[in-house]
Amino acid sequence: MKAIKTVLFLLLLLIGKIAFAHVGSPGVVYEGKAGPYNIIVNVNPPDVIPGTANVSVYIENYAVKIVSVQPVYWYAGDKGSPKADEGLPVKGTPGQYQASVWLMQSGTASMKITVDGTLGKGTVLIPVMAVSTAQRAMPKSLGWVLAGLGLLLVVLMATIIGASVSDGLLKPGTNNLPNIRRKKLTGASIAFLVLALMLYGGSSWWNSWSSNYAKYMYRPPLAKSSILNYDQQQVLHFQIDSNSLKAAKKSMSFIVPDHGKLMHLFMVRENSLDVFAHLHPVRKDSLNYFALLPDLPQGRYLVFADVVRWTGFNETIADTIVVPKKTWVKTASAKLYSAFFHDPDDTYVISNSTNQNVDNFPGKTTLVCGIPGETMKLADGSSAIWEHAANTPFEAGKVYPLTFAIHDPSGAAVKLEPYMGMMGHAVVLKYDGSVYMHLHSVGTFSMASQEILQNRMKGDEKIPATPDANRFRDSIDREITKIRKMDETERNRYLMASMPAMDMPEGKHNKMDAMVTFPYAFPSAGKYRIWVQMKRNGQILNSAFDATVK
Amino acid sequence: METNLYLPADYPAEKTATVNTVSTVQPYVYACVFSSLCIVTGLIWDISWHMSIGRDGLFAPPHLVIYIGAVVSGLFSGFQVLKTSFFSNPEEKAKAVNFWGIFYGSLGALFCIWGAIAMLTSAPFDDWWHNTYGLDVTILSPPHTLLAVGMMMIQFGALIAVIASANHLRENQSKTLHNWLFALAAGLLLTTFFTLFSEYLGKHRMHKALFYQIGCLLFPLYLIAVARAFKMKWAATATAAVYTLQLLLLLWILPLFPASPRLGPVLNHISHYQAFDFPLLIIFPAMMVDWLFLQLHTKKVWVKTVSAALAFLAVFFVVQWFFGTFLHTSVLARSWFFGGTSWYFGSDPNYPYRYSFRPENVDTGFTLIKGLMIAAVIATISGSIGYKWGNWMRKVQR
Repeated sequence: MKAIKTVLFLLLLLIGKIAFAHVGSPGVVYEGKAGPYNIIVNVNPPDVIPGTANVSVYIENYAVKIVSVQPVYWYAGDKGSPKADEGLPVKGTPGQYQASVWLMQSGTASMKITVDGTLGKGTVLIPVMAVSTAQRAMPKSLGWVLAGLGLLLVVLMATIIGASVSDGLLKPGTNNLPNIRRKKLTGASIAFLVLALMLYGGSSWWNSWSSNYAKYMYRPPLAKSSILNYDQQQVLHFQIDSNSLKAAKKSMSFIVPDHGKLMHLFMVRENSLDVFAHLHPVRKDSLNYFALLPDLPQGRYLVFADVVRWTGFNETIADTIVVPKKTWVKTASAKLYSAFFHDPDDTYVISNSTNQNVDNFPGKTTLVCGIPGETMKLADGSSAIWEHAANTPFEAGKVYPLTFAIHDPSGAAVKLEPYMGMMGHAVVLKYDGSVYMHLHSVGTFSMASQEILQNRMKGDEKIPATPDANRFRDSIDREITKIRKMDETERNRYLMASMPAMDMPEGKHNKMDAMVTFPYAFPSAGKYRIWVQMKRNGQILNSAFDATVK
Repeated sequence: METNLYLPADYPAEKTATVNTVSTVQPYVYACVFSSLCIVTGLIWDISWHMSIGRDGLFAPPHLVIYIGAVVSGLFSGFQVLKTSFFSNPEEKAKAVNFWGIFYGSLGALFCIWGAIAMLTSAPFDDWWHNTYGLDVTILSPPHTLLAVGMMMIQFGALIAVIASANHLRENQSKTLHNWLFALAAGLLLTTFFTLFSEYLGKHRMHKALFYQIGCLLFPLYLIAVARAFKMKWAATATAAVYTLQLLLLLWILPLFPASPRLGPVLNHISHYQAFDFPLLIIFPAMMVDWLFLQLHTKKVWVKTVSAALAFLAVFFVVQWFFGTFLHTSVLARSWFFGGTSWYFGSDPNYPYRYSFRPENVDTGFTLIKGLMIAAVIATISGSIGYKWGNWMRKVQR
């Protein structure tokens, strides 16, 4: 009975494991070119590594022979990658192909999509961060089935061992030997005991496996944000917690710029999501980042900081911070304050929901949030519209081209200018803060990651040697300074030249139309706010929209 | 003590029926031996698959071969138990063990049923495991261990079924068929033992004392057990011969088929299956064990056991040490016959110790002597346990 209890207890352990909520928007969407083909790709990476990514490829209007998907890891390069998987056509949806691709190790990976058709061959590389984020519990039904089978196995084995040392040794036709019953019982009891010990050992092994998995699960670095004051000017101090880097043996020395900035930091006022800021802190050393804070209203803010490593690994460091009232009390030294400058690409916007007419921020420009299909007024008098049928909710998991158009006060389409080398930047945030995504017109991945992976394709299958941390950091700082010193036209040209996915002929950016599309699949149902950032007449145009996802 | 379980000639036992125990090999015995073959072939194919292709699914061909083994043995053994329990006369029932009040079945069939249920249980467990901790490419995880125990139990059930069937033979009946079935069942199980411990028994470890210690833990235990279990002159040799033949056939056949890696990183670009290991030359120490058992059959048990165990180590060491040098370092071994070039797709083909012994993997002088002395102690203990195990198997009647 004790053994049965042990079996039940040990097998029930697997029923009660605690689920770990995953935060974020793990899907990767790409919209753009694969050679001559216009394609949209939606990658759903596994939440446990090793695991399989589901890749959907949509191809516009061309006769396609083969679509293949190959997982290319940064550490292995193109030469060290396995054979590609063929995408299978999806029945009933012409132009759509589906592939299941294995991602075996954690790290920077990518999907190399190759389209072969009447226009020839075209490829594109889409970065995917392969990380384990899920900690699953066993479904109760499966737990009971396994517990039942486990119990059956224990009882049956004890029966077999009991019979093996008793009647199994009797010549056929005989059934009466001294002590036979005692031998059977002794055999079965010893078997029970041994099995209980084995189950105990198995359970310890399982626990150690589980804790080992938990140990190597992906955890983003942590940071502590604080506000320093200098002459009524607030400075954000974003300090990376070095302890949070230890487990994964990460170093913040190997951060590389994305759109010419080391860090893209977003601040959004919690719950109401009415204040949004996009800042670009600069670093004093590998762990300490600073940014001059714009004139943000007081309150508690969610902070999301995006960084990219030299391996192309892109991650978001999240925190919260309370922005207090400005004071004359100096908490930053003059030396520190003078070391930082106002980045012309830093911006913020205040926007209220359409149903919220109260002016919470007297003296500040407050926009009224747009909703799909309806126009919203922007700060410079122009207007923005989300090109999506009004009152048509979005479906979770489905890829949508989120298209936004800008018109001047007369209603004519405007000419947009690049903002940090891109036609537009957008941030999607779920109202409960559980989903955050920084995206661009080509998709939801980091452009720097894509560039790094693209360059890695030229190398061999050997893992690149880690550079010297100090020298690497210095070289990146020199690069940032170089970019900062460029004038805007030069900077845009420089940044766009290094973006492989843009695939636009020289000079075409000057004729950009007034429309920007961000491909995105909302990961779950709920209420979201989307901030779209574009540039016109040298001014950053911020707009904000609300969306409901079913 | 176990001898009490036999009916002494003069024991006034109550006989429930006069049972005419003429042995005909029942279908489930063939089925179980066939299952054993499927299981071990599937297992080695699976290892070769992981070395060459890397990824697999629930229904990958090597897995299917293993499942066929599980299903065949489970169905035939289950049928044997149900038939004996509910559709047989008392004479048939008297040849089986009674359990849980209503069931009758042979021990071999029961082991096979247990193995099949264990393998069945491991499938949903493993599926959940993959979703929770990742698609593993490791041999040993808790669900895989359950699967491996199930597999071995089916193979062991086949062995027990053959022994019990042979124990019913009359003096004048031919034993040839049973000898063949025994050699197959025992040899296939030996292959599984070797495969599960192959990580420690590779050619690059053959100059390390640990190799001989692991070898002495496994092989004297098993070879002495089979030599004792079955009344056949060269039982251990026949067992080792089947093991050798099976590994050789797979070593020669699998690389004939194309295979390319489906997981990264691919450091070794291959186009065909990479073969599993060349068999250990256990056949030579096995012959020594058999020969000693024949020579010393009148001696005391401990004399037989200790001599056989120590002789095993002596022959195993001499043969395997020198053969290891050839297999790992000789250019001649890099041929299809010895499969010396076989190399995992994820390993660097220019690894400096691919064809030479890493200094850490070579024991010499006192370390080696000390290691071999430990191996001798292990061999003696494992051989003694093997003898007792063999004694028990020898007596299985039902």
